[in-house]
Amino acid sequence: MIKQNIKKAKMHLEKIRQLMAKASSPYRGMSKQQVINRKTREKLWREKLAASYR
Amino acid sequence: MQLVIDSNEYIFALGVVRYPNCEKLLAKVAESMEVIPIRITRLIIEEVRSNLTAEAFKEFILFINTATIIDNDFDIPFELGARYEARGLKSADALIAAYVEWTGADVLVTENRHFLSRQANLPFKILTAGQCIKFLNK
Repeated sequence: MIKQNIKKAKMHLEKIRQLMAKASSPYRGMSKQQVINRKTREKLWREKLAASYR
Repeated sequence: MQLVIDSNEYIFALGVVRYPNCEKLLAKVAESMEVIPIRITRLIIEEVRSNLTAEAFKEFILFINTATIIDNDFDIPFELGARYEARGLKSADALIAAYVEWTGADVLVTENRHFLSRQANLPFKILTAGQCIKFLNK
């Protein structure tokens, strides 16, 4: 059972935005679909599957 | 109404390059988590991790922990994923579609066109962040 806390959730979101405002993006200038098409998910999933068969 | 929010929505709401609708959706979910529960699987978490700094990712986990629990990918029935793969989704996308069905969520929120083009005969809706905000405001 989780204890939901709206105030804390909003605080964490704000903190993430502050932290990421200082970071540089590897995909600045790319469209939404170009970012999605980087196939990060496919790569992560293949790695997980491979690890599960070891 | 239960939502599964795809990794691209978190990335576009919290990453360096942001889209207003994705930000608004996450803000709405944070404000209304009691009435709009979300579910998340480990693969989505890991994809978000690869797009945030280490410190920002720590905050993301704290955020998720205030809203929901993290499900394990390997709890999702293999047959469900295989069915979506047979429909033409890539294996990782098929896993996410299977996850949405398995959790009984009403909506998968994503900006991914591959999902958005496969709306027919699904047990859940697929909406973009903008569409989802309109849907929630109805």
